[in-house]
Amino acid sequence: MSDNKSDLKIGVFICKCGGNISETIDLEALKASLNVEVIEEFENLCSLNGRKIIRDGILNKNLDRVVIAACSPISHEKTFQDYVQPLNAYYMDMANIREQCSWVHDDNEKATAKAINIVNASIEKVKEAHAVDPIIIHASDKVAVIGGGISGMNAALSLAKQGNKVTLIEQSPSIGGHMAKIGKVFSPVKIAEECGMCLLNPILNEVVWNDNIEIITNAKVISSEKRSGTFNLVIEKSPRYVNPERCISCGKCAEACSKEVPNSWNDNLSMRKAIYKPFSQAYPEAYVVDMENCDKCGDCLRACPMRAIKLKGEKEKFPISVGSVIIATGHKLFDPNLRPEYGYDRYEDVITQSELGRIMGVNGPTKGKLEKLSNGEVPKRVVMIQCVGSRDEKPEGHLYCSRVCCMVALKNANIIKHKYPNTDVVICYTDIRTPGMFEKYYKHGQANGIRFIRGRPGEIVKKGDNLVVRTENTLKRQFEEIEADMVVLSTAMEPSEGTKEIAKIMDVGTTEDSFIKEAHPKIKPIATDVKGTFVCGTAHDPKDITESIMQATAAASKVSEFVHNGIDIEPFIAEIIEEKCTVCGDCINFCKYKAMTMEDNQMVIDPMTCSGCGNCMTVCKQQAITINGNIDDKITATIDGMLEGKKDDERRILVFLDQIGYTAADNIGVNRLKYPESIHIIKVHSINRVRPSHMQHALENSADGIFIGEYPGDLMYDEVENKIERLRNRLERRGINRERIMFAKVYIPYFTGLANKLIAFDKEIAELEDKE
Amino acid sequence: MKQIPDKDIIIFKSCLITVEYPGIESSTKYVFDKLGIEYKILEDQTCCTGLGHYSDVFDQFTTSVLGARNFSLAKKYNQKHFVMMCATCYAINKKVANILNNKSEVREDINEIFKESNLEHLTYEKGDIDSTKNLFHVVDILYKKKDELSKHIKYDLSDFKIATHHGCHYCKVHYDDTIGGYRNPQILDELVEACGCETIGFYDFKRTTCGSGFRQRYANKDLSMDVTKDKLQSLKEDNVDILVHLCPNCHVQFDRYQNYIDDDCKTIHLNIAQFIAIAMGADFNKVIGAKAHTVPIESILTDLKEVE
Repeated sequence: MSDNKSDLKIGVFICKCGGNISETIDLEALKASLNVEVIEEFENLCSLNGRKIIRDGILNKNLDRVVIAACSPISHEKTFQDYVQPLNAYYMDMANIREQCSWVHDDNEKATAKAINIVNASIEKVKEAHAVDPIIIHASDKVAVIGGGISGMNAALSLAKQGNKVTLIEQSPSIGGHMAKIGKVFSPVKIAEECGMCLLNPILNEVVWNDNIEIITNAKVISSEKRSGTFNLVIEKSPRYVNPERCISCGKCAEACSKEVPNSWNDNLSMRKAIYKPFSQAYPEAYVVDMENCDKCGDCLRACPMRAIKLKGEKEKFPISVGSVIIATGHKLFDPNLRPEYGYDRYEDVITQSELGRIMGVNGPTKGKLEKLSNGEVPKRVVMIQCVGSRDEKPEGHLYCSRVCCMVALKNANIIKHKYPNTDVVICYTDIRTPGMFEKYYKHGQANGIRFIRGRPGEIVKKGDNLVVRTENTLKRQFEEIEADMVVLSTAMEPSEGTKEIAKIMDVGTTEDSFIKEAHPKIKPIATDVKGTFVCGTAHDPKDITESIMQATAAASKVSEFVHNGIDIEPFIAEIIEEKCTVCGDCINFCKYKAMTMEDNQMVIDPMTCSGCGNCMTVCKQQAITINGNIDDKITATIDGMLEGKKDDERRILVFLDQIGYTAADNIGVNRLKYPESIHIIKVHSINRVRPSHMQHALENSADGIFIGEYPGDLMYDEVENKIERLRNRLERRGINRERIMFAKVYIPYFTGLANKLIAFDKEIAELEDKE
Repeated sequence: MKQIPDKDIIIFKSCLITVEYPGIESSTKYVFDKLGIEYKILEDQTCCTGLGHYSDVFDQFTTSVLGARNFSLAKKYNQKHFVMMCATCYAINKKVANILNNKSEVREDINEIFKESNLEHLTYEKGDIDSTKNLFHVVDILYKKKDELSKHIKYDLSDFKIATHHGCHYCKVHYDDTIGGYRNPQILDELVEACGCETIGFYDFKRTTCGSGFRQRYANKDLSMDVTKDKLQSLKEDNVDILVHLCPNCHVQFDRYQNYIDDDCKTIHLNIAQFIAIAMGADFNKVIGAKAHTVPIESILTDLKEVE
């Protein structure tokens, strides 16, 4: 094979596509225009017979490069990359004379002329092609799951059962999360409340028993560094002061301990000792010392028959390396003191749903008996207030709906009605949101005698011994004062501190409400913007247990895809030329995709994250970054090919589109809409790769106009827009009208819009030429 | 917290204060003087339009023209901060500054009017006045000097039962600029505490409006009085001696109408500046303006004992 471009042996294979192409384009004229080693045409090139024709051509004639003039590369690029073997896949280019020629033009002569340009462009492009191999990255099968609540436990379990090694990292002394303390959970299908712990315990046990899961409690991730698909996490583990290997959970230490502190697991409604076990099913099955409250008297030490306690200990830091990370760091509840009008800190009998859950839990402070905290009596009327902190437009409130609170209130109201039929329960709501089967649960609650008032109470005050809830009944349009002896606030779900922290540590994008943001809200609801990092449960947004488990299992599936198939990456990504790189780090901030890191005094580009946009190349003062595949020259060659043989009275407009815009352009053809023959579309890997010099080159070499289409969701959109504005100014100084460059938004489904924009731009250019 | 100035201040005159309780202005000056705050009071300032605006007499455009005119005084006198004694002036002026800065069409229309009227020196340029950085309420300034108050206190008012009433136009219009909370406002309570007294803290209807509702007081008098009555009843039940205000409109609503609503209610009404001035030993007639009050303040404030 020859390296000299003019000596390259090129074969052009033309597909008739069952008439789709050949009925509009005069293939004889197309063939006559070409000056290449091999020209073949076939009815259906993508068939196995087509493969034989292509392969024979390559082998018999020693072809160096191949152009397939057929349909869009979006339909069949992978097919033909395979058919040209043993040639390198990137020595082949597809000239799209179907979607972007025969399907969008009616005039045979003009369509044929344009087809010649398209094929020419491909010929010039392949001449510049370099052989590159696809990059496949295999992620390690080690996974870190951060957060040991119901989501993290399910994700870990699913991964472990698929054979992956999982490290489950939990900040508190026990796994279990919020579900462990919830008491009863709601079940819309059975229209019943079930014991939360009874459902949780088997899962917890399975997690503990699974050999593929290592549980690290009292620990958090304090730093993360990503390198070629590997995350190096540093974990900080706080001392437990009790050796779990020795502790037999006899509880003698707690009996001996004289220091009493509020029990946070019971929402501080009861007391525990400074040495304690969070709850009876806690794992690890060992006591733990709350060192903040321990006075180190040593009573526990002396009481321990197993000598498991040691009151000295340091925080321990250690690294782990994993291939992927699942964030399951969960939520916390809105601070009711931020709504002072409800008097949470003034009145003992104003409590939260979470506290009510503890009060009614059989393992709670009252052993399941509903009691007023002020006097231990069973309340005669309980008023529940919905949307405390949710759907609240004032500062410190949340605009969003927390999604589960209607069901939580119904659940607790039903339980009260069931156990204490004489207690009146009133729910003051903004809107009742009980989608799907939960609507039946709502009706069930109404039938049980729960009363509902539509209105958001303004305040709670105490009159004599009673609380008074003031609200507008918005259905009756009247002001009401409801006497109550217990008021329960349904507080909003908000991201936990751990969720906010881990987002910063892992550099994962968050929503305006500080939840972890998914890569795409519709089609990528589990991935994050950091490849290899996934999210599940309430770290992502407010959701119930069922949905958390579903998302956790889906996250495990996504990790499995990663681990078992490797990740096939387009090879046109940036590489550092180490000899030139001075490790200045300038490129780090310029990379919108967060692909650059500095490690061990060396710049590293994560191939999985790099999009090949080339932004880093333009900021690198040392010119120490290159992108595989000779893309700059290929773009120039394609431009030259498209403009070859242009006549004076002819108009040629070059349109640059990336994957998204190109797909939209194909859709114009698929739907048989039309645009002028002057429109010549060039597919690029990333719009940012079309440099100002390319555009200038095109305009100075007879192109009449340039149309750049970019998807506004692309991270580089603003950058490209600014770049084009600067280029326009520059061109103007060189006597080229700025209107010759068009920058437009493109969307895949809005192909009619793109067609209209192309038609309008052609018209503008025509008018411009008339004027000049 | 936002940056609060103690110089380059124009105290923004309030119609209601001048007409109803001039003692609030003299008390403000008295307290500012004690605290060493530099200020000017200008004769060429106009009304903010507040009462008229909220009674649909002046539209937002007219209000904005007058606002721009008042803001031009900052340049004329080289004093960049306006400090309002009235919560309504405070809210109105902040809104006008935001409109003038952010709505270029309105700004241009207003400047055009100035030009046509040969008043080009009033022209407003974007950013002349910043809603957060240049517009304050007296309580903001006092809050910054809170820790210095105790040095100047002459009388111990801690034996009186004191409650606070925070004006809606200070707390509930420009949330981001409100100091001391807006859901359960505390700024007046903290200022009273800085004078060595305690307030009763939360009381029923503490957060409720005064009820004046501008034209509501006249157009829907029963509703307006009902709202005021709720709060007065609550104050009566708690045996409150002094209700501390920060807005003259609220002050009018309570002081002028208290006997009309319930002549059994004995609470007196003081603006926070009056309250502090009294504690600092100001003269009831010359500074506090006691004679302008309908509920006589001397009915409660007798035999003041000096701090030890």
